[in-house]
Amino acid sequence: MKRMQQKGILALALLIMVLMVATGCSKKHEVNTEPPVPEETVPAEVIPPTPTPEETATPDANAIDYKALQPQEYGVHDVFFAFDKYDLDDQALATLARDARILKEAGVMILISGHCDERGTVEYNLALGEKRARAVRDYLASLGVPEGKMLITSYGENKPFVRGHNEEAWAQNRRAHFENP
Amino acid sequence: MNRLLHTYLCLVLVSVCAVCVAPPAVRGQGSEVVIVDTRSAFRKTDILLNEFDVLSGGRKAVAGADLVASVLANDLLLSGLCRTGAGDAPADSFDFQYTIEGRVEGPLMDARTSGEESPLTVSLDLLTYPGRQLLLGKRYRPERDQQRIMAHHFANEVLAMVTGQQGICLTRIAFSRGTGDRRDLYVVDYDGEGLLRVTANRTLNLCPAWSPDNGEIAFTSYHHGQQGLYSLDTATGKVRRIIAQAGLNLGADWRPDGRELLVSLSETGNPEIYRIDPLGKVIKRLTVSRAIEISPSWSPGGGELVFTSDRTGTPQLYIIDKDGSGRRRLTFEGRYNDSGVWSPRGDRLAYATRIRNLTRLVLIKPTGEDRRIVTDVSWGNCEDPSWAPDARHLVFASDRTGVFKLYVYDVVEESFRQLTYGDDPDITPAWSH
Repeated sequence: MKRMQQKGILALALLIMVLMVATGCSKKHEVNTEPPVPEETVPAEVIPPTPTPEETATPDANAIDYKALQPQEYGVHDVFFAFDKYDLDDQALATLARDARILKEAGVMILISGHCDERGTVEYNLALGEKRARAVRDYLASLGVPEGKMLITSYGENKPFVRGHNEEAWAQNRRAHFENP
Repeated sequence: MNRLLHTYLCLVLVSVCAVCVAPPAVRGQGSEVVIVDTRSAFRKTDILLNEFDVLSGGRKAVAGADLVASVLANDLLLSGLCRTGAGDAPADSFDFQYTIEGRVEGPLMDARTSGEESPLTVSLDLLTYPGRQLLLGKRYRPERDQQRIMAHHFANEVLAMVTGQQGICLTRIAFSRGTGDRRDLYVVDYDGEGLLRVTANRTLNLCPAWSPDNGEIAFTSYHHGQQGLYSLDTATGKVRRIIAQAGLNLGADWRPDGRELLVSLSETGNPEIYRIDPLGKVIKRLTVSRAIEISPSWSPGGGELVFTSDRTGTPQLYIIDKDGSGRRRLTFEGRYNDSGVWSPRGDRLAYATRIRNLTRLVLIKPTGEDRRIVTDVSWGNCEDPSWAPDARHLVFASDRTGVFKLYVYDVVEESFRQLTYGDDPDITPAWSH
């Protein structure tokens, strides 16, 4: 989540910088054009030919390097569970439907890890986490994601996403998480 | 680390045994005070622990004598079977039947020229009191780092002689320490000393289980995110893989003869209980259901096992025969029961139950009778009990201070002591044999 936000902010910052450069250029333009013409050459014409061979190359959507990204960065999102449960609710099913479309396109190997909140015993939570990961894998497989591309594991209560001893933290920690194997 | 673990196992070779005299009449006297496991018949043996004589060797010998005496006194107290004349009790409340005397001789002078420090010589005697009849005489030559072990060794001998019971003074507790997915296995002496880290693989290491001869510790670890069951050789420190099927490879428990382990595996799509051999070959699958089946623990004779199943919708304890037949439900109270472990004496089990969001420690008879909640709410969450071989002490993890640390519970006296300290959580303890 955090990493995604950072990435988003970074992209936004980049966009703003590009815009600033662009507007800056046009301003320079104006500055250059405003003074009375000492020479015949118009700067506006000199500038256009040099730019943009690189800029046109980047927005190629088909060239996403999935392996270099975390699944959340290309839109595959974690799903959450009720207390002591490993069945998928409507929200989880909806999330997984979107996840499945992206994963099929990405075609990468993915690790689904099951997690639990801190309540309960270490061993039972490891088993519960595994059930959660398995429920997600099985549903994704039913939607056409190749089973051979999905690994599962369970960390039980050992790898909480949010620290805290309240329902808010617990709800965040009861999840199946997508990561690169 | 390897060397230290090894030292432990080789202690008997280091000690030089001298005399051991035990007249039958005195043995009889000893058996009179064997503690029966009901509190009404509970009585302790008083042993007068005299200050040791330091015959030579200066400061090092004095320090050695003090260390050995304090470890020995603590061992006798922690056994729950003896008093040593120290502590809060008034002097006239003791009824000494035995006394321990010690003599310590310092390093030999010629050791200085050879560049090595020769060990102390420690002679320890157990005598009747006041008759001063020699029951047990031992002479040890411990290296500096063996003085503690030596004292534990003698304490076990004294307990066996005086109470007829096998002491736990040389036992240790393995556990998992750390946070998140970085938890290492550690081993600590039963008295909280001698802490030692035994894994360093930058992943999650959990649920240690000692083989019956303490030669191996089976544990669950992760390799590239995948769970597997591994085994640490306690003499060499080498780790081998026992089994790493897809899914869970969890909850190992060695059969008392060491030839098999119980484990829960989920390759078939669901955690089930299996018997495997120590090389990882599946001998028999014991459960078939769509529920979670985990936490298996052998009965002392290896004829039955207890495990957790949530086949009714909530995790409960069940007992089955070693071939998987004869299933019966052990727990009916509470909606969350797990981590059943059979006492080495077989007369009861400990497990964890959840009551209003807190996990509490419980004792119960194998018949399901005499259910007794051990930890009140002030103990916070209490998890993963493991029995000492004396069937009297239990180690478990509690987060009463805000972080999970290990505590020891004395089933007879209903008393607690803290075993581990520090900021990192300590979980899944296992008492050695």
